[in-house]
Amino acid sequence: MTPSRLLSLGGVTLAGAGFVALLAVWLLGGGAVDLPWAPTLGSRLAFRVDGLAALYGLLATGIGLAVFVYARAYLPIHLAHQGRPEAHGVRLYAFLLLFLVSMVGLVTAQDVIVLFVFWDLTAIASYYLIGFDRQDERDRRAALMALLVTGASAVLLLVGVLILRDRYGTLAIDPILAAAEGDRATSTAAVLIAVAALAKSAQAPLHFWLPRAMVAPTPVSAYLHSAAMVAAGVFLLGRFHPLLREVPGLLEGLVAVGIASMAVGGVLALTRDELKQILAYSTVAQYGYVVFLLGLGTAASAAAASLYVLVHAGAKCALFLSAGAVTAATGENRLSRLGGLARPLPVLAGATGLAGAALAALPATAGFFADELFFGAALERGAAFAAVALASAALTLAYIGRFWTEIFLGARAVEADRLPALLVGPVVALAGLLLAAGFFAAPLARLARDAAETTWRAPVDVSLAYHLDARPENLLALATYALGAVLLVARRWWWPAALAAARVGERAGPERLYHGGLELLNRLSDRIHDVEVRDLRTRVAAVLVPASVLVALGVAVTGAAGVYTTGSIAADDVGLALVLSLAALAALAATFPRHHVTIALVLASGGLSLAVAYAFFGAPDVALVVVAVETMLGLALLGVFALLPRRVLRREARVPTSGRRRWRDPLVGVASAFFAFVLVWSALSRPAPDESIAAELTRLAPEAHAADVVTAVLADFRGLDTLVEITVLAVALLGVGALVRRRAA
Amino acid sequence: MTVLTAGVVAVIFGSGAYLLLKPDLFRVVVGIVLVSNAATLALMASGLSRGDPPIAPGAGAEVSDPLVQAMTLTAIVIGFGVAVLLLALVYRIYTSHSTVDLDELSQAEARHEAELEREQVEV
Repeated sequence: MTPSRLLSLGGVTLAGAGFVALLAVWLLGGGAVDLPWAPTLGSRLAFRVDGLAALYGLLATGIGLAVFVYARAYLPIHLAHQGRPEAHGVRLYAFLLLFLVSMVGLVTAQDVIVLFVFWDLTAIASYYLIGFDRQDERDRRAALMALLVTGASAVLLLVGVLILRDRYGTLAIDPILAAAEGDRATSTAAVLIAVAALAKSAQAPLHFWLPRAMVAPTPVSAYLHSAAMVAAGVFLLGRFHPLLREVPGLLEGLVAVGIASMAVGGVLALTRDELKQILAYSTVAQYGYVVFLLGLGTAASAAAASLYVLVHAGAKCALFLSAGAVTAATGENRLSRLGGLARPLPVLAGATGLAGAALAALPATAGFFADELFFGAALERGAAFAAVALASAALTLAYIGRFWTEIFLGARAVEADRLPALLVGPVVALAGLLLAAGFFAAPLARLARDAAETTWRAPVDVSLAYHLDARPENLLALATYALGAVLLVARRWWWPAALAAARVGERAGPERLYHGGLELLNRLSDRIHDVEVRDLRTRVAAVLVPASVLVALGVAVTGAAGVYTTGSIAADDVGLALVLSLAALAALAATFPRHHVTIALVLASGGLSLAVAYAFFGAPDVALVVVAVETMLGLALLGVFALLPRRVLRREARVPTSGRRRWRDPLVGVASAFFAFVLVWSALSRPAPDESIAAELTRLAPEAHAADVVTAVLADFRGLDTLVEITVLAVALLGVGALVRRRAA
Repeated sequence: MTVLTAGVVAVIFGSGAYLLLKPDLFRVVVGIVLVSNAATLALMASGLSRGDPPIAPGAGAEVSDPLVQAMTLTAIVIGFGVAVLLLALVYRIYTSHSTVDLDELSQAEARHEAELEREQVEV
């Protein structure tokens, strides 16, 4: 069996086993794992299966199972189509597995740092998955865009959780949420976390990466859009909802973002021609529903959001897989070139129709209940919200209707090959589940209720049933069907307007800002690169000057009061102070002389002064070594000078007079001296701890059969260090020998 | 004493950094030696205790921190190796380019590249 097949089988097994395990743990009332990880930071590997984790975890594993099964049939076709070997599939399966594992880790994490790590892992996995067809530049750009938008916003999440840690003194999520208050630090953190979540969920105006990401192979798109990545964003909002609620104005902001996403996604989905693009904009709109619901901030809306995520994941995954199957069968991926496929592909047409019906909230599917709760939650807050809900539901019905009818109905536009069972099976299975849940909604209701209770932190009532009466939810549903049908039929009337809106969005949308920003960064990087690598000097200065600036900034920001101590010069220290001053003077003096021999001698005198200083430090061994080294170094310098003709050295003895460098070099020198001064002073100002390792080392020295402790440290305790040092020295000397000998050749 | 030590380290480091920016390659080598001297002094001064030499401690008296001494020894020897290797490199540059001046070297490099390009055009 090839590695690719093996990994795929492993994925199927792991996803299935994970699903069963999560289901069992959830049904048994949840479970938790808590292991120490980084005790000094207070971070623990804490995981718990609560309601929210169960919902998203079951989605990640369940949808993951469907995707892995589908990929077994789809990927060979995909790779063969591009003329790539089957072994390339390894990468897809490996990163899908990473995606799955990190999603489960993310949703069960109970520690904010662990949560952040898994959050970032999903971004990394998605980068490689979106860019799976790496030979295509469009794919690489799309992958980079997804990584930059979600990766950059992930930093906001990190900053947010660190602010929370600062404020509440813990990294565990539950205590933070329990203690949450609406003060300024919490508000800042909540806003940062919300922005990170919205970027991940592709909400307007950061939605543009998601439609680009549909260049990924179909199984990846299906997974990304339904149960992973994009779902992670709304999961985060659900997880931190108790915190977000404390911040005034934040929920209203979520409502606004949700409405904007519903509008942008819905209108653009109506006008797209490419199958996966329609579905991608639909995802933007659908997660807009969820964000809108979470923003409404009532118990009913939390329940509606949970159920919506569940139903949307199943339906959207089925639709994506179906779009991939249609393309695999016909080789076409545009609505305008498809049509009449219901006859050759009846099973796929039926299953896709069911999934579409669930998304469009038709009765007898789980989608009806989801929209019922959606309408209910909106009505609770007022008529205006209900109107928004009605409009977006009608839009959904219209674009899904267009999607299905133009693929499967009408005149036959293309021939369709027979599809392998594995490409149709997952779609049928998902559609079957959605249909079954339309009649037996109790398991769905329980899952949604548990998740909503985690989000809402109070008992929530979720009862799903058909009511044959004129309650407002039913009326709204009926109005949706009517409005949606009108939209479908009266396409001629609104088509130009929708197209124009889409075009304005393309011209003036936030994507332009992204590209502009990227270009600007590129140019800046080029400029800095040009300055930095011009020659050795600019390279050295490019390290020293920014380091000094950073240290200066650090001092300016953190403040220096009480950090630095001046120390006192005791009577014993006068000698040390004198030799140290001498060493400093010698170093300064080495910068002035014109003649090389003078420099060598001044350098040696400075080194020897240091040797004396080391003697004062109680280190005769070091002092002796310095004397030996300085002597050898001085001799080496003089020897090389002797080998060179006088004229070469004399040319270098000129004082450089070129205008700019005359001022620049000393300035760089002074700046770097300043930075060294601040660093060393702050380090030396730290009071010595009461306990030091020295006593222990001294005690152990005889046991290492060493006469004194320094020898023991060098030859035993840090013996490997010394071994490497000897190797470095040997290599250096070999190099010297080779360089000097080549003169003859 | 703290300020004085930090000041001395800073002066040695700054002088070294200044010399690093010179076009004369010998001064660059001297600059590197000064920078590593500054590093060893900082290391030595960061010892947690000062007293008798740890290689021959007196009875009962406080002993200097042996750990920094061991590390300083390592640092000095490595610094020496680097300096000597650099000296050999400078000498090698002289034998192949007849100059130890960075400005002249980069000019020669530019000339060489221009020549190569001309040859390519002719070919």
